[in-house]
Amino acid sequence: MSGIHGGVQVVGVRKRFGRTCALAGVSLDAYRGVTGLLGPNGAGKTTLLQVLATVMTPDSGWVRLLGYDPADSCDRTEIRRRLGYLPQELRFYPAFTAFEFVDYVAVLKEHTDRRARHREVSRVLDAVGLGTVAGAPIRALSSGMRQRIALAQALLGDPRLLVLDEPTTGLDPEQRLYLRDMILHLGEDRVIVLATHLTEDISALCHHVVVMNAGTITFDGTPEELSGLARGKVWVAASRHPEALRSWRTARGQFRNLGDPPSGAQLADPTIEDGYLSLLSAQVRKAVA
Amino acid sequence: MSRHIDTALLSAYARDETDQATSMALEAHLATCAACRASLACFVDTERQQRGWEAIRGAIVARRGALEALLAKAGMADGDARLVAATPSLRASWLIAVSVALGFAVAAGYQSANGRLVFLVVAPLLPVAGVAAAYGPRVDPTYEIGLAAPLSSFRLLLLRAAAVLTATTVLAGLAGLMLPGPQWTAVAWLLPALGLTLGSLALSTVIAPLQAARSISLGWVVTVTAVTVPAQDKLALFDPLGQIVFALLAVVGSVILVWRRAEIEQGRPG
Repeated sequence: MSGIHGGVQVVGVRKRFGRTCALAGVSLDAYRGVTGLLGPNGAGKTTLLQVLATVMTPDSGWVRLLGYDPADSCDRTEIRRRLGYLPQELRFYPAFTAFEFVDYVAVLKEHTDRRARHREVSRVLDAVGLGTVAGAPIRALSSGMRQRIALAQALLGDPRLLVLDEPTTGLDPEQRLYLRDMILHLGEDRVIVLATHLTEDISALCHHVVVMNAGTITFDGTPEELSGLARGKVWVAASRHPEALRSWRTARGQFRNLGDPPSGAQLADPTIEDGYLSLLSAQVRKAVA
Repeated sequence: MSRHIDTALLSAYARDETDQATSMALEAHLATCAACRASLACFVDTERQQRGWEAIRGAIVARRGALEALLAKAGMADGDARLVAATPSLRASWLIAVSVALGFAVAAGYQSANGRLVFLVVAPLLPVAGVAAAYGPRVDPTYEIGLAAPLSSFRLLLLRAAAVLTATTVLAGLAGLMLPGPQWTAVAWLLPALGLTLGSLALSTVIAPLQAARSISLGWVVTVTAVTVPAQDKLALFDPLGQIVFALLAVVGSVILVWRRAEIEQGRPG
């Protein structure tokens, strides 16, 4: 067994659900910092995160998490001792208070000493800014607060690996900024892998971005490299261009076109969203051809 | 405990030298007594004091429900009591539903000579349903988080299954005492209940827990019908030979469950 300081290594992982291929030979490396998974619905992001959270066993492939092998039962327990996991749809015991819920998860995470456990629960609730509503029933809290409770449980025990499935979903802009700041801070000395639909999350949080589509990885690089895929392919015009791969109206009433620009077009600096859409459009074009 | 906490005891608490039960009692008092909190401050430095307040805040907001308090009082470890108290099939609504079902089954016992059969068929199904709803995908809201946590899922399943079995056994046992007819019929459902529950748990390592419970329940009803309809003695299935078969089923179910425990640790079929 190698040391605990390794990151995430995934090689050739496959997973099928009946006739649906969720992961078709995915390979990925992630180390200290924040790695973002981006992709359309059904791309396989959640399945990949479930594999990284040890709650899904792949059909085949090779996985190492923090240097441990999740297929080995002893190693799997060691991984789980160092793991914080935020699933896509976390449900709660509605009668629990925020404190009771996180306390319950702390028991699952082997925090047996009651006083130390309560201190740790207080710490993570304070970390997500919910210390003042710790005694409130979860059913009385807003969806944004519930999402922060969900994140608080993932932070229990100061995990070395954080697997977060759409952590900013349901948050208002202020809460999202707060959360992004916290994730960035956590990523300074941890491995964080998160899935998101929001390209703003990628640009704000990630040093490493992976784009998935139809169970495969179609891009693996930095956010700058992703936006660079659309360099020279984005232009702004007064109208929708008929030859554009994608075209959408901006808040200023102009049209942002993506594709091969006509001569004399006013080229724009590409964003991560442009790069992502350019990548997906190229794949659609390739599939059609 | 006297009106205020003894200084020697406060000093021991500040040094983390009190046992869990004493600490809990002290924290309950400290939460409401400013004088004792002020006295405590003399024994601890600022950092320890802050940690102490966090523990006290925990004691205040981490209230215990009736079941959790009962389990803790019965000697169950604090964490285990919390895990068991969260069991979906130990909620008051579930236990009331079980009681109502038993009430109808007992009432059926008074309707005809073979009415006791209704009770003997229904009683073993209640723990099967309760255990299926105690832990697993679709029934436990925190199942996925629990699976990603280091605590053994197999241990959690056994803890909750034992708690549900105990609760339903007590309820069905009390209901059985109200049955008319021979005394042995009041307990003749016990081994079938154990056999069916362990059989269902063993099957749940292959198929989803709720599906396993449905399959076992259907199999039970079909077996009872097949055996009792042609038989002269409608309770023949519950005679000593039948009880031996149910005991064997319980043993086989236990062996399979332990043998396939890795399936539960990795994630039960959904």
